[in-house]
Amino acid sequence: MNPFKHKGAGQRIPLVDGIEKVTGRARYTADLFAPDAYVGRIFRSPYAHGDILRLDVSEARALPGVIAIITGEACDQPYGVLPIAQNEFPLARGKVRYIGEPVAAVAAIDDATAREALKRIRLEVRELPAYFEPEAARAAGAVLLHDNRAGNLEREVHHEFGDVAAGFAAADLVREETYRCAEVVHAQMEPHAAMAAYDAERDHLTMHSVTQVPYYVHLTLARCLGMDAARIRVIKPFVGGGFGARVEVLNFEMVCGLLARAARGTVRMTLSREENFLTHRGRPQSHTRVKIGMRRDGVITACAMEMTQRGGAYGGYGIVTILYSGALLSGIYAIPAVKYDGYRVYTNTPPCGAMRGHGTVNARHAFESLLDTMAKELGLDPIEVRRRNLLRAPTETINGLKVMSYGLPQCLDAVEGASGWRDRIGRLPKGRGLGIGCSHFVSGSAKPIHFTGEPHATIILKLDFDAAITILTGAADIGQGSSTILTQAVIEVLGVDYARIRVIANDSAITPKDNGSYSSRVTFMVGNAAVQAAENLKKILVEAAARRLQAAPESINCMGEIYCVHGDSNRSASFNDVVAEALKGTGTITAKGTFTCPVEFQGGKHKGGAVGSTMGFSYTATVAEVSVDEELGTVKVEKVWSAMDCGRAINPLSVEGQVQGSVWMGMGQSLSEETRYEDGRHIDASLLEYHVPTIVESPDVEVHIVESIDPNGPFGAKEASEGALASMPAAVVAAVENAIGVRFTELPLTPERVLKVLADRKRREARRRRAEPAYEEGAA
Amino acid sequence: MYAFEFHRPKSVSEAAALLAKSKGKLIAGGQSLVGAMKLRLASPENLVDLGGVAELRGIKREGNAIVIGAGTRHAEVAASKDVQSSIPALAALAGGIGDRQVRNMGTIGGSLANNDPAADYPAAVLGLGATIRTNKRTIAADDFFKGMYETALAPDELITAVSFPAPKKAAYIKFRNPASRFALVGVFVSQDASGVRVAVTGAGSAGVFRATALEQALAKNFSPDAVKGIKVDTAKLNTDLHATAEYRAHLITVLAGRAVAKASS
Repeated sequence: MNPFKHKGAGQRIPLVDGIEKVTGRARYTADLFAPDAYVGRIFRSPYAHGDILRLDVSEARALPGVIAIITGEACDQPYGVLPIAQNEFPLARGKVRYIGEPVAAVAAIDDATAREALKRIRLEVRELPAYFEPEAARAAGAVLLHDNRAGNLEREVHHEFGDVAAGFAAADLVREETYRCAEVVHAQMEPHAAMAAYDAERDHLTMHSVTQVPYYVHLTLARCLGMDAARIRVIKPFVGGGFGARVEVLNFEMVCGLLARAARGTVRMTLSREENFLTHRGRPQSHTRVKIGMRRDGVITACAMEMTQRGGAYGGYGIVTILYSGALLSGIYAIPAVKYDGYRVYTNTPPCGAMRGHGTVNARHAFESLLDTMAKELGLDPIEVRRRNLLRAPTETINGLKVMSYGLPQCLDAVEGASGWRDRIGRLPKGRGLGIGCSHFVSGSAKPIHFTGEPHATIILKLDFDAAITILTGAADIGQGSSTILTQAVIEVLGVDYARIRVIANDSAITPKDNGSYSSRVTFMVGNAAVQAAENLKKILVEAAARRLQAAPESINCMGEIYCVHGDSNRSASFNDVVAEALKGTGTITAKGTFTCPVEFQGGKHKGGAVGSTMGFSYTATVAEVSVDEELGTVKVEKVWSAMDCGRAINPLSVEGQVQGSVWMGMGQSLSEETRYEDGRHIDASLLEYHVPTIVESPDVEVHIVESIDPNGPFGAKEASEGALASMPAAVVAAVENAIGVRFTELPLTPERVLKVLADRKRREARRRRAEPAYEEGAA
Repeated sequence: MYAFEFHRPKSVSEAAALLAKSKGKLIAGGQSLVGAMKLRLASPENLVDLGGVAELRGIKREGNAIVIGAGTRHAEVAASKDVQSSIPALAALAGGIGDRQVRNMGTIGGSLANNDPAADYPAAVLGLGATIRTNKRTIAADDFFKGMYETALAPDELITAVSFPAPKKAAYIKFRNPASRFALVGVFVSQDASGVRVAVTGAGSAGVFRATALEQALAKNFSPDAVKGIKVDTAKLNTDLHATAEYRAHLITVLAGRAVAKASS
């Protein structure tokens, strides 16, 4: 009997930091009180590609009120999130590679002075040919953006698992199609901001930033400023959304640190929305050629994919992105043979990065779309064809990924039932349609980027005279609710009241290091560390209760707020009394918990095999219902049913919110979001031009939670924040086809794109009718 | 904000005198001008505020026409029983301008004098063949709009009221820019004894205009089918980040058909 069981895990509680947010009390980086802070501003390249001939800042420096000006000379240490691909400088050195690249920076007494100073900076370059599309960058004779990367290829990947040729030979139907997805960005609510305070007397630097990865910021500041890491302190205040935008260190953070040191004071930087678009690190534009072999019964025999990504001017996460796209062709369906060729191309556009569903979304969209097309050709129901290709967990995929829990079958059942699929598919009026898409995502990358030998996650619990428990964590809550999940995990183990628990997060001087909030790792890894820390603390408390109650530790029942002797409820002690006993002779108690992904989960032995490896995959099936106005070319998502296997919903309310957010973001990518460049100039760098869906376009998203109870996740939990996204584009496109009989292969489905495809179809049909006058068109 | 002189006249004549003397700008609801001033797209040294000029407010019937004072807010037009009963399309148009804040501050006179190429009111004025009354004269709708942000108003002239003849049938439909919610294309269609008018906002490179090809087709047959397949000339239409001229041309025809259907329903 455990009277407090599920007091933590499974509770639908509001986020523990929600009150501050909804009352406006939360302080974000730009809100921090620093009346003596200088204002930092960045001078950006107006050239897409060029050798820097001269950079003259003397006129700017002479402006009264300018405190410091820095250029590429301030830092000769390249940085980048992947230790193997560091080719970016905080401020350009020698060359500029995209319009908007930081070239110089100013710290001034106020914003007007800083802006005026920027106008007085003179940059002269020898312009070089610039490439805005992968084809142009890869063409023979193209000038290289980076001298060591032939053909402007950041990375090419060639993987083959299983016998692909035999797989296609065994197929009854082989089809091939190319899918194009536009570049999209996170458009997180809070614009980028940083504040760096340099203590000149001590040579210490304190950095506040909007980051998802305070630890990487810390390491990179040390690297780029040439400072001992011990002299640096990184604090992450409240952050208004990340989605991958801040999952690597960004140039303005380094610039802010360099400026503060140059100014020997505090510098605050707030980037405009336009600058956010230029610093976007979004999902790259991709062209995906996919080929699937299928037996008549719908069973997949082989898959081949060729993916080209327009990576932008610098490395960033690029290598991981191009690897992810191939690796996660596996892990969702049983596919006996997979060939993948990936090309990550440098172009003269702002660098792309990791975005929610990192690397998987466009590949999944292509795969699911072709799967649907082939099912239709074979006369199979779209849900049924997916059922024919399910995995059986536990299993290991052909590329060495372990699948320990697998709730996709239940997800399919849930959305099939909830959407009324069987009764409604094919029976809706013209212009209205249903479509399905499935997806999966990792619960944290099993192999960390930095191989330090440290655990992958560490949590410290502090218990003191006040009988309060403080969770010390480096896990970055960026709005996804990680602090809440850690609170619930500790409460689930200890059974104490919520009021006893506080979370202190993300101050490198106080909290343990954490790798950061990316690849949906926090619930799984940090959650497991929190469970272990709580269990360690519980052991101390049980022993203290045993001493106090003069009983053997094995006979103590921990009832949360009360400890008692098993079978003798009169012999009990309150939590406060147990804590007082525990503190005797030792004082403040700290309990630590750690978590490390065992090496057998860290992926295949092939080059790049670690990418995609995880201890638990989430699974999602999504049905979208759309209406299409063929005259206007508009597509409206009317309703979404999304079922997600998140292992165990530690906080179902939070899971629902994450799934809704993911699906909604996938809808934006499907229908309206894209960045466009004109001669390398970003022409959609505002929220008036870059069309994130508004509340008007937002449908009801009905979430169904499937709990497969993962054997390794904390209380069986897996990720819940990213996986659902990739199911949405394919579901929308399938629903549009169901509505009007046309399958679109290019995202987003803007009205003009829709009309163009419809007009093309009309022309084709007219030609066909002329050619075969007697031809009678059947029902679509 | 930067420093400027702010004048608060109590009458139209006082306002006109101040305007002539100061060479400043009139401000009514300020829904366009204040934004432009913040961005320094406009930086008048004198502002003549019409908010205190009571004679500019109000809606009244004059025979078959509805006369709306220039200082009347969009929300007042939308809520007016007289407008709703005589020209429901105009009430609906006013109720669909901007957002609640804009509708409670913005005025019909300000909108027309500003003549934003994507504003809604110009479509109604041109589409209904309204008459603009100023402190000096009356101006027919067809003579009032002179191009993007340009009108027939003299520098010291101010709109006092707009007279809308009640049509037999009328409707306005707009396709909104998904972010700004401005009309990417808005089409106002009306029919009365003198004929059919189709006024288009949001699309023209010189602001609001009449789509004559559509008018001619609808004059013969006032039905949605009459405009089907009519290609609007793209030469004078906008291509911008939000839509191509071709798409705008397409929308004009489609929306005109839908407006006719709505007007006839």
